[in-house]
Parts: sequence; structure tokens; C-alpha cells
Amino acid sequence: MSTSTAAIVAGEGVAAAPAGRRPRPPRRSSTQGSRLAPLWLLSPAGIVLLALIVAPIIFLIYTSFTDYNQRTLFTGEYNAVGFDQYVKILTDPQFWQSTVLTLFFTAALVLGSLVIGVGVSNLMTKLGTVMRYIVTIVLIFAWGMPNVASAQVWNWLFQPGYGVINWIITQLRVFGNQTDLSWWNSTPLALINIWMLVVWQAVPFIALTTYAAQTQVDGSLIEAARIDGAGEWRIYFSVVLNYLKPTILLITILSIIWDFNVFNQIWLTTQGGPDNGTATLGIFGYLTAFNQFRVGTGAAIAVVTTFMLMIISGFYIRSLLRSGEDL
Amino acid sequence: MSANVTETELVTTLSPAAPRRPKRKRRVGATIIAIVFSLIWVFPVYWMVITAFKQRSDVMTPTPQFIPLNPTLQNFVSAVTQTSFLVNLRNSIIVVGLALVFAMLIALFASAALSRFRFKGRRTIMVLILAVQMLPGTALLIPQFLIFNELNLLNKYIGLILAYVAAVLPFSIWSLRGFFVTIPVEVEEAAKVDGAGTWTILWKILFPLVVPGLISTSIFGFISAWNEYILAYTFMKDTAMYTLPIWLVSFQIPGQPPDFAGQMAASVLFALPVVIFFLIIQRHLVSGMSAGAVKG
Repeated sequence: MSTSTAAIVAGEGVAAAPAGRRPRPPRRSSTQGSRLAPLWLLSPAGIVLLALIVAPIIFLIYTSFTDYNQRTLFTGEYNAVGFDQYVKILTDPQFWQSTVLTLFFTAALVLGSLVIGVGVSNLMTKLGTVMRYIVTIVLIFAWGMPNVASAQVWNWLFQPGYGVINWIITQLRVFGNQTDLSWWNSTPLALINIWMLVVWQAVPFIALTTYAAQTQVDGSLIEAARIDGAGEWRIYFSVVLNYLKPTILLITILSIIWDFNVFNQIWLTTQGGPDNGTATLGIFGYLTAFNQFRVGTGAAIAVVTTFMLMIISGFYIRSLLRSGEDL
Repeated sequence: MSANVTETELVTTLSPAAPRRPKRKRRVGATIIAIVFSLIWVFPVYWMVITAFKQRSDVMTPTPQFIPLNPTLQNFVSAVTQTSFLVNLRNSIIVVGLALVFAMLIALFASAALSRFRFKGRRTIMVLILAVQMLPGTALLIPQFLIFNELNLLNKYIGLILAYVAAVLPFSIWSLRGFFVTIPVEVEEAAKVDGAGTWTILWKILFPLVVPGLISTSIFGFISAWNEYILAYTFMKDTAMYTLPIWLVSFQIPGQPPDFAGQMAASVLFALPVVIFFLIIQRHLVSGMSAGAVKG
């Protein structure tokens, strides 16, 4: 959630910046005070970011080259072990399993939420005012739910024995009596379950953003296509989606970053289980560092994960810079 | 919508031969899909709310009650009075409140520097701040835990406050900068002509103008800090130091078996302020981000 709101605000900043309206440096009346002003203004933020983000990251990298473990937390003793931790994780089948899981699960989440979100956006353009308002409110409810609370709700919805979803599945009379079906005891079911939870909360942002962009589509383009004899689907795929391309691209990159980092929804439903079946890299790193207290190994996992994510978010930053934004 | 109607009419008169389903029929189809979608999407929230109002005995029934037959407020009363709710609420308010005050003040200064002044390295700083925002959670959690452990800041307000300031600051700077940038330079220049110094301009002219931005940025910051779970869970070891998300996850009324009615009542209590904020800033959310998204 935190990143999701962050990007919204960042996007807003982008939109709000009128081209060419830049504060010019005061040339004549430049006193000592005003020249040093940016330095003074930036230093509190600089100190905080250095102390609480940059230094910890350096310490993380440092820790990944040591055998920091449970004993160290009490005695403060640890040894430098060079690349041992990296060798250890790169030869650990569980690490590769987590990597593959993270990549596939991220892809499944991004694809699912994009298809549904963009579909809902298109649906909204075809609705009357009242129905569109209802859909918007429903979306905001799903979006606004803190994921800690929604994970609790999920645990209750899918509870074996009395969960309402199992009851509904049983009533369908297609799958037999599934009242006691346990969603968290099998990896595929657990993944489907978490997928639904994440997608449920990811769709509103995508649908509302895409919808806002879709309302800007030039009506005359659609009209022209219609006169040329294009069907509704053809118009949607050739004209509307083409117009929405930049929006969808941005949403895709943001979704990849967010879905790659999904943590709470997994931790609060399965804790990575059954048998590490839902342990994505984030969960695997957390379990290694804080449940087994192999902090050095956990740090190495976090470094590798950060590296992977940096490659992905590099695309986002590049595309933001290329869009001509004057930072 | 009205533009859409005239457009279709126009097209129909222009090319009557084109095979097209009548408008009304299409609208009905879309409405049916929208109703089904809305029912599915709102169901988890609906189920949370009605479970919270059910009698304990009505929660675990072989056939679920889709409408509470004997609604009660008892679950909310027990959740508030029989657990450490008030203590944990106080913790959340202290931690989130102080973290927000610090973060906003620091972000206000930094974003003023990054928007109203030109200097070397500004672009680099902006990109770095953006990059920091994308670090995976555990990458900061592990070293912050180790450092705070060393400095004896774990299980204390100050440790969590510092971690939240670090978490909220980057996007607050970006967000506030967007508001500063929209203030015309002329305002500043006029004040300068009148002899105002840099500090006077900042405090008397620029800062009052970004108050709306400060409010909306604070709401975003509030939502992310209020919902934060894993840092608080890792840092705070005593029940008396828990914040509300941990209270919610470990919710149990002492001396009673786990009950879902109580858990759902707790979820409602916790989620309510956030959902209300989302409803309030709804219009703002969508218009702001769409413009940004289209351009990006």
C-alpha cells in the first residue's frame, strides 16, 4: 500500500508540473543566505535518509559477507566469511524454488489484475451514471481495506468447516462436498487463494486509473473507426487500447514492482507454507533471517532480491526520465 | 455518457446498414455484468461487516446466515473493552502521529529546496529518492533491526517512529514537490522585489500555499504508516507496545476460544478510518493519478 499511494502522488507531481515555469536562480540579489538555502533545507532530509536508508543498506551488504546469526544478537561476535553466504544460497534448491515462484506468481498477479482492471474500466464506460457510481464505491472499498484486515477476512471467508466460500462451492454441486476443504494445506490452492486476495485489492487502482484515462479518448476517433465499419471489439482493440498504451505501460511497471514485493498477504495467510510452497523471496528472506536467525544468509537473500528488483524498477525510472519530465 | 448517445445516433443515421446491436440492449448487458462484478467485489467487505454484527452462536452455522438475524454490538464492545485495544490504539496514534509530524516537516523543507532552487545534483537526488522507494521490505527491515538492536531502540516508540519516518519520507518529498512546482515564480519574485528574504518567502508565502498538498500528503502517509505490519511485528515484542495491526492479527479475547465475530469486529474497527479517508480523497486520488499516468 505504501508504494501504491507513493506512486500516485509522484504521478500527480508529474502532472502538476507545467513546462517552462521554473524558478530561475536570482542573479543579482544573490546573498550568501539564499545561495546556501537549498543546502540548509535539504540537510535534515539528507541526514535522515543517510542514517535510516543508505547506512542500513550498506550494513545489509556488509552483513551478507558475515556469518551473523542468533549468537551474534547476544554476543556481538561474527566472522567475515567472504562470498560463502552467496555460494550457500545460490546452491540452495529452496532459493531457486523461491525465485521461480516469485517470478511466476508476480507474472500471474500482474496479468490477472491488469486484465480484470482494464476490463472493468471498459465496462464502466458503458454504464449509466448510477451504476458507474456504485462500481466506483465498490472499488474504493476493496482498495481502501488495509491488507492486514483483508487477510483476516480472507482467513475467515475460506475457513475450513464454516467458511462461506466452501459452503458456496459445495452448493454448486459440481465439486462435491468441499465444506472442509483446507485452502492452505496444498500449494496450488494456497497460491490461488493468495492470488485472489492480492488481485482483489489491486484491481481498483488499475480500473480507476485506466478509466480516468479512457474518458479522455477522443470521441471522433471512435466515430471515424465506426464509420469505416469497425465492430465494437475492433474499435476497442485498435483505437481505445492504443490510446491507453502509455497508461497501461506505467501501471504494468508499477504492478510488477508491487506484486514482486507482496508480503503481508502471504505472511498473514500461509506464513510461506505449506512446506515453503508459498515462500516468495521476501518471505524466504524474512524466515531465514528472523525465524532461523541465520541473519547473514537472510541478508544475502535480501541483497539478491533487491538487485533483481532494481533491474525491474530501472525500467520504470528510465521511462519516467525519458518522458521528458524535468526533474 | 451523453456525448456517447449523440455519437451513436449520428452514426446510425449515417450508416444505417451497419449491423449493430441496439444501444439499450448493450447497456443492459453491461449493467448485468457490472452488478455481478460489484456483488463479487464487495462481498468480502460485506461478509466482514455482517459477521461483526452477528451473535457468537450465529457465526459458525452449517448454513451461513447471509443477513444477521439477531444483530448485536457485543463483538465491538468486547473487542474494545476486553483486549488491549486502547493501549494499542494509543501506541499507533503516538507512533504514526510523531512519525508523520517529523516526516512532513523534513519533507516540506527538502521539497522546497528541490522545487524552488536550481543547483547541481538536484536531478540525481530526485532519482535516488525515487529509487529508494522501490527497495523490497526485507532489505531495509533486516539491517534496521540489527542496528536498532545494537542501539537499544527495539521495543520502543522511537525505533518504530524512525523506521516510519524513513518509510514515509521519500514519497512525501516527491508528492510535496509536485505542489510546490505549481506555484508561479511571479509570486516569489514579487515578494523579492518588496525586499523579502529567502526565509520570509518560504514561511510567509510558499509554505501557506502548499497547505492543501501537505494535507493530502499527510493522509497518504497516515494510511501507509497506520497499515504497516511487518516492521512493527518485528520490532515490538511486548503486547503493551503493539500497534493496532499486530493487535488485529493476534486478536483474541482472553479466556475464550478464537472467534471470527470478534476478529471481524476488530477488522472493522481497524479498517474504518482508512476506508473513510479513501472515500474522502476519492476524487482527488483518481484525477491526480490519471493525469500523471497518462503523461508518464
